[in-house]
Amino acid sequence: MAEDSQRNFRSVYYEKVGFRGVEEKKSLEILLKDDPLDIEKLCTFSQRFPLPSMYRGFVWKVLLGILPPHHESHTQVMMYRKEQYTDVLHALKVIRFVSDSTPQVDIYLRMYQLESGKLPRSPSFPLEPEDEVFLAIAKAMEEMVEDNVDCYWLVRCFVNQLNNKFRDSLPQLPKVFEQYLNLEDSRLLNHMKMCSAVTKLPYDLWFQKCFAGCLPESSLQRVWDKVISGSCKILVFVAVEILLTFKIKVMALNNSEKITKFLENIPQDSSDAIVSKAIDLWHKHCGTPVHSM
Amino acid sequence: MCVPKLARAHTYKIMAQQANISELLSMLDSSALGVLDDITTVFKENLNSDRGPMLVNTLVDYYLETNSQQVLRILTTLQEPHDKHLMDKINEYVGKAATRLPVLSLLGHVIRLQPPWKHKLSQAPLLPSLLKCLKTDTDVVILTTGVLVLITMLPMIPQSGKQYLHDFFDVFGRLSSWCLKNPGHVTEIYLVHLHASVYALFHRLYGMYPCNFVSFLRSHYSMKENLETFEEVVKPMMEHVRIHPELVTGSKDHELDPRRWKRLETHDVVIECAKISLDPTEASYEDGYSVSQQISTRFHHRPTDAIASPYVDTQNSYGNATSTPYSTPRLALLNTPGQLPQVLSFSSTRLSTEPTQATIWSPSAVCGMTTPPTSPGNVPPELSHPYSKVFGTPGGKGTPLGTPATSPPPPCHSDDYVHISPPQAIVMPPKKEDRLDSVRPCLHRQHHLPNDRGLETSDNKSSVTLSDLPEFLGDLASEEDSVEKDKEEAAISKELSEITTADTEPVVPRGGFDSPFYRDSLPCSQRKSHSTSSNTQGPSVSTELLTSSLDKLGPDTPKQAFTPIDRPCGCDNESPAGNRESQTSLETNILTPSPCKIPSQKVGFGSGQPPPYDHLFEMALPKTAYHFVSKKTEELLKKVKGNTEEDYMPSTSPVEVLDRLIQQGADAHTKELNKLSLPSKSVDWTHFGGSPPSDEIHTLRNQLLLLHNQLLYERFKRQQHALRNRRLLRKVIKATALEEHNAAMKDQLKLQEKDIQMWKVSMQKEQARYNQLQEERDTVVTQLHSQIKQLQHDREEFYNQSQELQTKLEDCRNMIAELRLELKKANNKVCHRELLLSQVSQKLSNSESVQQQMEFLNRQLLVLGEVNELYLEQLQNKHADTTQEVEMMKTSYRKELEKNRSHLLQQNQRLDTSQKRIVELESHLAKKDHLLLEQKKYLEDVKLQARGQLQAVESRYEAQKRITQAFELEILDLYGRLEKDGLLKKLEEKTEAAEAAEERFDCCNEGCPDSLVGHNEEAAGHNGETKTPKSGSSRGSSGSRGGGGSSSSSSELSTPEKPPNQRVGPFSSRWETTVEPSTSIPVTVGSLPSSKSFLAIKARELFRNKSESQCDEDGLTNNSLSETLKTELYKDPNLEVKAPLGLDNPHPSPKNQESVGQLRIMDYNETQHEPS
Repeated sequence: MAEDSQRNFRSVYYEKVGFRGVEEKKSLEILLKDDPLDIEKLCTFSQRFPLPSMYRGFVWKVLLGILPPHHESHTQVMMYRKEQYTDVLHALKVIRFVSDSTPQVDIYLRMYQLESGKLPRSPSFPLEPEDEVFLAIAKAMEEMVEDNVDCYWLVRCFVNQLNNKFRDSLPQLPKVFEQYLNLEDSRLLNHMKMCSAVTKLPYDLWFQKCFAGCLPESSLQRVWDKVISGSCKILVFVAVEILLTFKIKVMALNNSEKITKFLENIPQDSSDAIVSKAIDLWHKHCGTPVHSM
Repeated sequence: MCVPKLARAHTYKIMAQQANISELLSMLDSSALGVLDDITTVFKENLNSDRGPMLVNTLVDYYLETNSQQVLRILTTLQEPHDKHLMDKINEYVGKAATRLPVLSLLGHVIRLQPPWKHKLSQAPLLPSLLKCLKTDTDVVILTTGVLVLITMLPMIPQSGKQYLHDFFDVFGRLSSWCLKNPGHVTEIYLVHLHASVYALFHRLYGMYPCNFVSFLRSHYSMKENLETFEEVVKPMMEHVRIHPELVTGSKDHELDPRRWKRLETHDVVIECAKISLDPTEASYEDGYSVSQQISTRFHHRPTDAIASPYVDTQNSYGNATSTPYSTPRLALLNTPGQLPQVLSFSSTRLSTEPTQATIWSPSAVCGMTTPPTSPGNVPPELSHPYSKVFGTPGGKGTPLGTPATSPPPPCHSDDYVHISPPQAIVMPPKKEDRLDSVRPCLHRQHHLPNDRGLETSDNKSSVTLSDLPEFLGDLASEEDSVEKDKEEAAISKELSEITTADTEPVVPRGGFDSPFYRDSLPCSQRKSHSTSSNTQGPSVSTELLTSSLDKLGPDTPKQAFTPIDRPCGCDNESPAGNRESQTSLETNILTPSPCKIPSQKVGFGSGQPPPYDHLFEMALPKTAYHFVSKKTEELLKKVKGNTEEDYMPSTSPVEVLDRLIQQGADAHTKELNKLSLPSKSVDWTHFGGSPPSDEIHTLRNQLLLLHNQLLYERFKRQQHALRNRRLLRKVIKATALEEHNAAMKDQLKLQEKDIQMWKVSMQKEQARYNQLQEERDTVVTQLHSQIKQLQHDREEFYNQSQELQTKLEDCRNMIAELRLELKKANNKVCHRELLLSQVSQKLSNSESVQQQMEFLNRQLLVLGEVNELYLEQLQNKHADTTQEVEMMKTSYRKELEKNRSHLLQQNQRLDTSQKRIVELESHLAKKDHLLLEQKKYLEDVKLQARGQLQAVESRYEAQKRITQAFELEILDLYGRLEKDGLLKKLEEKTEAAEAAEERFDCCNEGCPDSLVGHNEEAAGHNGETKTPKSGSSRGSSGSRGGGGSSSSSSELSTPEKPPNQRVGPFSSRWETTVEPSTSIPVTVGSLPSSKSFLAIKARELFRNKSESQCDEDGLTNNSLSETLKTELYKDPNLEVKAPLGLDNPHPSPKNQESVGQLRIMDYNETQHEPS
């Protein structure tokens, strides 16, 4: 209660007026002040509210386990992470898998391959589909994070989370997508079924790459907030919202290939609105995650 | 005809477009009528289309050059936009002395027609320049013309007085003095003209601005040098004016107030001026009559009323009604110049002397002048008017002798009239002839007749209208049967309408002897009538002229002879007609100079109603005659002048003088005409080829011009009078209409009164009925009232009964209530009794039982007494030694009790203490538990932290492993390649190379057999020693980084004792003591919290007790940890491809221990770090 009274009394009205994130930032700061960070609370917070960009990297690292919950060990652990990065990079350089001219994303990929023991015998070997996914995500992450080490670790852990935590749920997403699209706009779904475009939608792009390369990074961050905090269902709603937003255009197209092609290259200007709506939709259908302070 | 005309017009138009105006102008005077019309239309069109001053200027120029009448006509009818150009042009020419006179006459022409833009004159620069000219010019002709123009202009622009008033007065002053002093020394004839015009100016100025003018006169003639002028000129003029009412009521400013002038039109102003004049030639008696109107009407009404009855009787005797004998006395009376009282007296006398004749005559005469022509079927009193109009006029125009012949037919018989009208026309010519014969005796009468009639007209006019009408109607009604009258009226009106229509037809060809009236009745056919009338009027006037000439105009005669003529001009209805006549005749003269016109023109000249004699002279007279006439007139004028100055100074006005002059001139001329055949001086002159003296001719011309101007001025005045007359006529018409309306209203009123009567009667009936009904009603009401009373009485009775019953009811109710109360009381009593009864019965039973008990107790008492007695006996028997023993036992028992009690106390105390102790211990225990919990939590936290770090390290380790794997893979790859190369090159290689290869190969084989190890021991040792500092400095990662691959890895593996030390360098250096004795780990754990924090101290205290047990646990955990680690570690080496199969036990064991130690160390390290 004492804490409540100390808080800004205007906070109640912020949301009414339309300011989001004023109070959230404060509560996030309070959360981050806990010494052993409460990962669950952070998860709930990140699911419920958009993360302030200044804390996003940190929260992601904590949520992905790159940083331990204890503040004291952060520097040390980070040091380890950095050393590991330099070691692996060095090794790659030694075995001449990468050079100075190699793009950073490729370096990340090779490093990841090396660490997961999947390094091909030669750099010239063709890439696997999962490598493509990695590259897309890495490319998006590279835009979001400046530091190479952080970036590498985030990509690595993000991909690992996709491969481990969401291994079972990711393949279910297309079905869930159909179900929600039916709820929201059955006509559109019927139209797509008519065009037999439902099966040919860019599910890989949406659910494997988590919209990397599909949405601009600024919007993508907000989607990934939810994914990293443990909800891959948001991907479904983003996809649904994309279809709803471009409903008229999609309805105008009656060829599955065209639809797919269009959806793979959707215009980027309305992405922010799409994401916002998608989050609202997600909250509407799955309920707002309970936030216990 | 039409087509060529149009074509011609077209060609002219084209010509006009070619700006060939001069040609057009020359064509204006062509004799062909058609061409003339076309040209004028072309000019007018041009004027309409062109707004520039060019055309107007040329027209003015042309007019000045040629004096063309056509151009004059065009100029006088100019429309609005061109007026300015015209005014400018005139202004320009007024400035030039040469063109001044013609331009002024042009201006006079223009103004007299009263163009619609006349109001602009006051602003035009023309006015000041005209005034200037009047003030400066010395030519009498110009001055006279200018003054006349000015006088004409003044009533049109009365409001300009404000600006130019003093200029007007100055002009007057100058000219009046001029008249006397004659500074230009011009011919005296001119002065007569000038004097006349000055006189007119005097009248105008006095009429319009009396106050200002009088003050001017006062100031101007108070000066001595002007006194003479005043005496000679102005004073006589003042004798001819009345006192102006404005002098009394108005003021100088009020006169100049534009509001005053706004209400008055031009002719109003003229009449206003005429009103104040006493000069019979100038004056207007309009409102002078109004003064005597009442009297005259009174006189007149009776006659007219009287007429009505005799008139019906004498309908057929019209032929007898000759007027000659009767009219003579009348005329004699009338001869005196038209002063009002005299007129009145005349009318009265006339009425008294000849009632019947007068009645027959007067209505006809009266009505002939006044009746509004358009409403024939008017009111009864005007019955005879139309007839008199028709027949009275010939009488008026012609001689009194003629009138009997044409005397009015009975008004009611249209047939008669129709019969008569043709003879009338036939009669006319002889009548004229007769008249010519009898001219002299009748002359005065003739002239007076119209005058007389005029007076009467005005009288009758006023009498018919207004308030007297109803009175008259009443008289009529009383005298005659209304039905009869109505019939008559209807018949009359019918006839009237027939007559008027029939009248117009015959009159026109007849020669319009009654033209003025005819003109009145049909204004649209004016022109015809004028032209005709001019012919017919001719003789009558000529006679007049003859008389005057023959009589040689003695001092008396002219006055008598001319005033009557003038007066009709001034104020009679006839005058405008005459005016028109002359005008039209003038026009006809100009247009068609035919011989037949000459006589009439001559006549016009002589008649004193100024005819266009100038043209006449020019065209008709030979120059000799012209000269002669002028000579004669000169002489005559001199005479006249002398006469007027001598004898009639006060009474003769300048106008009269001028008249006389003209008269004389005319006489001379007529004489000349008569003696045309005779030789005369003038004739001689021309006859002998000598030209008449130019001076004379010039004078004559100027005189002519002046006369013309005067004539035009008089004509203008006449026009104004005509205008006014027309207005008055309209008023009469309106009045009669109103009268009719009044009569109708009266009829309606009567009808309504009848209605009212009827209504009254019916109302009375209704009232009677109403009374009856009311009585009936009253009886019914009384009956009903009695019934009501009875019923009320009954009702009251019933009411009383019911009340009685109610009181009874009340009583009964009260009784019942009382009874109920009593019942209740009784019940209560019964209850009470019952209660008492029960109580009593209870008591009874109680007492019974008590009695029984008592009996029982008594019996017991008895038994117990017996028993007591018995025991007492026994006691006495057994009283022995048991008391001592009992005492002893008692004491023993007491002691024993005390002992036990003390023991109990002791026990209790012990219990208390032990309980306290327990509580204490329990709290302690709880504290400890809490602490333990905290410690556990803390430990958990620490563990978690450690695990986090450990995970990072593990991942790193994992990475390292991957790296090494990769490296190995790479190395193997390279080896593979080398081997391939080696096989190829084996043959060529030497032993050294082989050795080197062997050596390399050995190095690669890490886990090679012991034999190999032995071989390489030295080198490896060297390597390891050399590397140690390096690896130490670069910490754990140095292993991967430091060495050059194979050698370092081999050294690591080959020298198992040292690498651990090196690896764990940083930790080992700190915890060396603890690391080496691996068995003493628990102890270190126990002694771990060497730090100073409170928590640590607490923990230490806690651990003190449990140290032993914990030690065991730690040991166990450590062991288990180490085991798990061992297995993990073992797993990886197994994966290695080249993992040594026969790996020694000591090798892994220290490693494990190290790792365990490391773990432990990390733990403590962390714990130590935390508090600090």
